Amino acid sequence: MNTILIRHKWEPYLWLLPSLLLMTVFVVFPILIVFRMSFSEISRSGVMGGFAGFKNFIDAVNDKAFGTVMKNTAVWVVSVVGLSTLFGFIVAMVLNADFHGRKIARSIVVFPWATSLVIQASVWNYIIKYEYGNLNNVLLNLGILKNAVNWRTTYQIEFAWECGVGIFVTIPFVTFCVLAGLQSIDAAYYEAATVDGAGFWKKLRHVTLPLVRPSLTVSTVLNIIYVFNSFPIVYTITKGAPANKTDTLITLLYMRAFYDQKKGAATAMSVIGFVILCIAAGLYMVISMRGEEEL
Amino acid sequence: MKKLVALLAALLLVVSCAGVAMAEDEITLDVIICQYGNNTENWFLGTGMNGTSFVNKFETENPGIKLNLEVVSWDDVRSEVSTRITNNKQPDILNIDWFSGYQGDGLLMPVKDYCPEELFNDFFPSFIAESVVDDTVWAVPDLASARALYYNVDILAEAGVEKVPETWAELEDACQAIKDFYNGEVYGWGLDMTTDEGQAAFSYYVWNNDGGFLDDEGNIAINSEKNVEAIEFAIGLYKNGYTNPNPATQTRYDLQDMFGAGKLAMVIAPNNLPSYLAEKGYTDVHYNTAALPTNEGAKPGATGVMDRIMAFKDTTLSEEENAKRNEAIGKFLTFFYTPENYVGWVSMEGFLPAVNSAVEALVASDESFAGWLKVLDSCQFYPTANEKWDAMRVGVINVEQNALIGGDVKTLLDELQAELTK
Repeated sequence: MNTILIRHKWEPYLWLLPSLLLMTVFVVFPILIVFRMSFSEISRSGVMGGFAGFKNFIDAVNDKAFGTVMKNTAVWVVSVVGLSTLFGFIVAMVLNADFHGRKIARSIVVFPWATSLVIQASVWNYIIKYEYGNLNNVLLNLGILKNAVNWRTTYQIEFAWECGVGIFVTIPFVTFCVLAGLQSIDAAYYEAATVDGAGFWKKLRHVTLPLVRPSLTVSTVLNIIYVFNSFPIVYTITKGAPANKTDTLITLLYMRAFYDQKKGAATAMSVIGFVILCIAAGLYMVISMRGEEEL
Repeated sequence: MKKLVALLAALLLVVSCAGVAMAEDEITLDVIICQYGNNTENWFLGTGMNGTSFVNKFETENPGIKLNLEVVSWDDVRSEVSTRITNNKQPDILNIDWFSGYQGDGLLMPVKDYCPEELFNDFFPSFIAESVVDDTVWAVPDLASARALYYNVDILAEAGVEKVPETWAELEDACQAIKDFYNGEVYGWGLDMTTDEGQAAFSYYVWNNDGGFLDDEGNIAINSEKNVEAIEFAIGLYKNGYTNPNPATQTRYDLQDMFGAGKLAMVIAPNNLPSYLAEKGYTDVHYNTAALPTNEGAKPGATGVMDRIMAFKDTTLSEEENAKRNEAIGKFLTFFYTPENYVGWVSMEGFLPAVNSAVEALVASDESFAGWLKVLDSCQFYPTANEKWDAMRVGVINVEQNALIGGDVKTLLDELQAELTK
């Protein structure tokens, strides 16, 4: 009797053990190492010294590019997550409607998401490559342009392009999260709303939005994390140039760690990013869960 | 049964002893080589060395020494090495452009500990001098390249530029003529201020204006008047519309492609540009080379780039084991620099040699080498022996990129000087 009880008590943990071990080795352990590095002295060639206190964090915050890059990161996350959620939602509504070729349309929407991000970023880089990119070729051949245009004259425009590419590649993810939510809504709600005389906007506001909220919460929290940590787009298109004006925190810390060989400051930036992400994702989840309880 | 167990145990003992004996006799060297081009990996690890690989040939000729050789791209090599160092797994032999940081951290062995004297005396003395810190040589040169001005003969002729620019004033006139004639469809001058190689641009201009990274006493002098004047001139070329439009993101390879496609009239490039253009299929471009234009009154400053091979300490070994390891490293170097192997390596990627014994064979195989070797004689090299070199390199690129978007060159260089000397 006792052994059965003990077995029952331990069995779930036994099953969980492999995943817990994997998580410890591949997630928890590296996080702890980065935390330890962020408080250690590290030379340019990579030799790790003793405890450095908050020196790395002070270096990171005093980095000349830090202010600009934090601002860029905020613009990057808010615009990419915000606009891709808006457009993704609209696309999901369209794909949820009943029309011929719906399945084909759905697969087309998946394409950008199913392609590797580095490849997509490289392709976009070729599309907008100064005067000799594909965009110019197409527009010149169609006769829309008479002379080739440099689509990247200032770094602000280059950063806007990067945000645009970010939005484009993120839309499918939101679309499919929302689409899953939309399909789980019982048609009876809409019928009841129609009977009560609700139009499109009222149904959207009082039926659709509250019921897809859990899907939106999931997609937004995951997106905040993905987009904040997204590296290939900025790195492929501008590498943060000129003078870190188009960097986000993640590309800056990569450049500091592996290009400038300032590993101490880079690990500190990484810890700062980690904390910001935990707070942002946590806050969003608390707020949206409170909203759900109020429903 | 007991007999069988005893027999098995005895067999096991013999096998394990043999294993130990083999392991004692054999030494494995961890080697990191940088990827210079498409052929590097094939030459070291594939079949690019007359049907075999460097590693195979070396191991056959040097029994008892195994090579664990890895070819790493230039983009990744620094991070790979520094990650290895952080984890105490530094390679035995490293090929890279920079050594002073590793030397400053006490990680390198002096060259005299492992390099046979005969080989050491074969290196160009001026090259060896670039790897000396505290009167000790810490690395040996593996190859070099020199930079020159390449110009498109047809574009210059069509735009009415009769003489290839030799001074900065003539360069501005030529660029203006090209701008007027082609109305922006062809750029006059290639400017690469990217994080890839922006330090090269910095050196072209400061060295051709009697400036430099260091002063005569070897102190950092990044904000000298000559340097400010030189960088202001380079930024002026961009502001006047004489250059490619995005110098902060258009790398040397973008410029070489534009040059090959006839979109760029003049570009500063290494001596292997012809093989690059041929490989990429740019066969229509009609070009020639000249010395870099110099500011009026300044000494011409040819730019050379040199890479190195160095050996790391292994503090876990006994004195005897270390002596054996040093001997193996010496054998590696001797094998690499043997003319029979080295000439093939240098000419395959279109570089210039670092040892005297290779010169004759190289000149015999390609006459243009003689001209380039002369340029190499007058070249200046980056001050990589200075322990702040890496910070200088990153710093000057940052200054250039900030200046491109409107920053004041003098203020930026003053700030960099303060940061480097604090």
